[in-house]
Amino acid sequence: MHRALPLLLLLAPALVAAQDDPSPHSDADLVSDAPAVRPGEAFEVALRLTMDPGWHSYWQNPGDSGLPTRIDWALPPGFEAGPIQWPYPERIEVLPFVSYGYSDEVLLPVRITPPASLDAPEVTLAGTASWLICEDVCLPAEGDVALTLPVGDGGAVAPEETAAMAAARDRLPLASAAWTARAEPADGGYALHVTPPAGWSGSLEDAYFFAETEAVVQHAAPQPTKRQDEGFLIFLPASEYATGPAERLTGVLVAPEGSDIAAGRRALALDVPVVGAETAAAAAPSRAGIGLGLTLLLAFLGGLLLNLMPCVFPVLSIKILGFAQGRSDEPATIRRHGLVFGLGVLASFAVLAGLLLGFRAAGEEIGWGFQLQNPWIVAGLALLLFGIGLNLAGVFEFGLRLASAGGRLDRGDGLGGAFFSGVLATVVATPCVAPFMGAALGAALTQPAPLAVLVFLTLGLGMALPYVLLSLFPGWLQRLPRPGPWMETLKQVLAFPMFLTAVWLVWVFGQQTGLNGVALLLVAFTAVALAAWLVGRWDAHGSTRRQRVVSRTAAALALAGAMLAVGAGVGQQAAAAPTAGSGDWAPFDPAAVERLVADGRPVFVDFTAAWCLSCQANKAVALSTDAVDAAFERKGVARFRADWTNRDPVITAALERFGRSGVPLYVLYPGGGGAPRILPEILTPGLVLDALDTVDGPVAVEGADALPS
Amino acid sequence: MRAFFRLAPLGLVAAAALLVAGALPDFGAHSLDPAPDFTLTDTDGTAHTLSDYEGEWVVLEWLNFDCPFVRKHYNGGNMQNLQAHYTDLGVKWFSIVSSAPGEQGHFPPDVMNARNEEHGGAQTAILMDPAGDVGRAYGARTTPHMFVINPQGEIVYNGAIDDRPSADLATLDGATNYVVRALTEATGGDEVTTPRTQPYGCSVKYGT
Repeated sequence: MHRALPLLLLLAPALVAAQDDPSPHSDADLVSDAPAVRPGEAFEVALRLTMDPGWHSYWQNPGDSGLPTRIDWALPPGFEAGPIQWPYPERIEVLPFVSYGYSDEVLLPVRITPPASLDAPEVTLAGTASWLICEDVCLPAEGDVALTLPVGDGGAVAPEETAAMAAARDRLPLASAAWTARAEPADGGYALHVTPPAGWSGSLEDAYFFAETEAVVQHAAPQPTKRQDEGFLIFLPASEYATGPAERLTGVLVAPEGSDIAAGRRALALDVPVVGAETAAAAAPSRAGIGLGLTLLLAFLGGLLLNLMPCVFPVLSIKILGFAQGRSDEPATIRRHGLVFGLGVLASFAVLAGLLLGFRAAGEEIGWGFQLQNPWIVAGLALLLFGIGLNLAGVFEFGLRLASAGGRLDRGDGLGGAFFSGVLATVVATPCVAPFMGAALGAALTQPAPLAVLVFLTLGLGMALPYVLLSLFPGWLQRLPRPGPWMETLKQVLAFPMFLTAVWLVWVFGQQTGLNGVALLLVAFTAVALAAWLVGRWDAHGSTRRQRVVSRTAAALALAGAMLAVGAGVGQQAAAAPTAGSGDWAPFDPAAVERLVADGRPVFVDFTAAWCLSCQANKAVALSTDAVDAAFERKGVARFRADWTNRDPVITAALERFGRSGVPLYVLYPGGGGAPRILPEILTPGLVLDALDTVDGPVAVEGADALPS
Repeated sequence: MRAFFRLAPLGLVAAAALLVAGALPDFGAHSLDPAPDFTLTDTDGTAHTLSDYEGEWVVLEWLNFDCPFVRKHYNGGNMQNLQAHYTDLGVKWFSIVSSAPGEQGHFPPDVMNARNEEHGGAQTAILMDPAGDVGRAYGARTTPHMFVINPQGEIVYNGAIDDRPSADLATLDGATNYVVRALTEATGGDEVTTPRTQPYGCSVKYGT
């Protein structure tokens, strides 16, 4: 400090001089070409900045350096001021930099709206203007401005002020529908195509585009222009500070001298969407989106994979059986069935997409698998599969065709049956979010509606393809075993996967409704079994018409009873306690997770649902094993389980944050401020242990990680 | 049908491979620019070479004490606090003066030191770049213009000091400081949310 004192004394006069004058090298005042203020009638005033030669102030986008001028108004009550209307600027070159601004004098018009009634004989419009004034060096400047105008008629305007206002308005950009423009990303920038109205005789060669915001166009770079077709092509190099292509080009195109856009006006206002920038921008940020092509590919593969998922397999069995029976059919019939099955799948996916979009539009927080969050649907599916199982096992035959969707499933001869196989396959596949499905559906939910539908249809296409191929290439069918008594055996064997699937659904129902609910559902099962037995015992072959009428009436009553039982079971829903927190797993609490993560603690979140088979498998083979448990303990990982068995908006929102709309989802926060890591949807103990290896122990980390924010 | 099932595992493997590729978190991430190496002499006569600081986090700050925007950050104590905070944590913080002799912001080393002492500057060193070569190599435009360099010698942040382009001291309140955010994210192993912003301030007073 002692060394600095004499220097400070030397510098002091210069500093004091700069601070004495609040508006160095420039002055501000307020002018208007309105002679008086009339109540309710808008008029214009302008902030006039007068600058010393060589000094300048700045436009709304100051370019490489500088600050836009601003006005803080202090208007009488009821008066409103609009934004500054910026006359087009000039390029101020202080190479290698280019700023956008004004020199000598500039008027910045502002529209003022007075209130509908005015009592005072005159009003004073006041405000404080602040601007940056630069030559080589820059100085902030400030000025209080005021203008008093009479109210009503009378008043006078100096002719030079009228002329100055008119000149300023001539420099405002013109919005013109006669001119058209489009833009697209080009190598290192944007190609701006501008087409003048027919008959325009000027030229845009050497025109210049001033972008309204920073970080869009490189201010110092030249903008090469050339004639093209009916118009002009202007290349705008992108700003080196842009993090992605701009979605719109907004600004002012200034034609060269002698080429007025319209009589007396050289500047054209442009606001042009950059065609293709949206998709490019969507693909650019790494976290949120994945490219459309990849999304569709994943959706397609996800659909293919669905066929091998345990919850689709029973339907797959039915279809195989259908094909086996159809072996004797004409190839044309088989082809038709394959295509209709495919249509059924596609139609279901289209309906699902429509529902999902409908719900999304209605603001409902739902996701993939939402059907199975409704216990009515779970119970209905369980009963349907149980009934199909009974049929396959031979308890009753569809000799008389029960008018149910499932009734035709094992028949290759009904086109309706083929269609409904497709529908059923889709409905049952719902909970099996195959590994690809998560990302694809997440994309579908965040994309515009047509794209979402496309993703869903692609999923359906993947799922239907094997069948369609089988039906199109009968050569594959030749490899199927020949029809024979084995088919009856196979049919009966296939009853058991049906029963197992039903058991799984009963368990899901149990998660939703508790033990009482399960008991009531089993009552419904018994009623369905009774109905099936009644129909089978007195079938078309060995019974009288009267017996059949009575038995079928009884069967219908039994089914009605089943419905009542299911209804009572669903009623148990509210009583069921959440099962999320068990053992060392706490129920999901976003606030708690956030707190722990902020504290640098490692956290693991298991997004799961009872009806999600992959989730249960992962839990059994990986998450609940002793080795994994021990590793969790050793690393001090806080474990949360987000149970989505029933609808839960908090969990839905959390899933969406990770771009997912379904479970399973496994998130590991490594602690110490590290980014959350998403584990694959199919877990193995080794995989979880490897992931946990990246977690530092419970001790706080020294060094770079300890940098506070 | 049997053929279908024989082929199915192959499909699964292919699908799994794609899954792994698709799940990679760095999908679409852009690569980082290498920080140009330089050797500059500080106001005490010591030479500093950037590559000597490999393995350490480095902050570069373009400085012109007479620029109103720089004054905002020094008069409000903002810049000095950041310098003290991060140098305490082992970050190397260099303030670089690229003003040419005779231009605003250029002072002889002892005057620089005096001005800095007056403000209580806590940077590692003030480096003199009177020829402007280093400033031009980095594309330094304004004072302040900030760069954050990781231990591998890559630029993880290039741009404004915060989101309030103004010379008004009051705008320090509530501003998002991009340098703090970049250092917090980058040292925590995260990708920097905004790796580039348009810098604001006075233009760097390069010689012609």
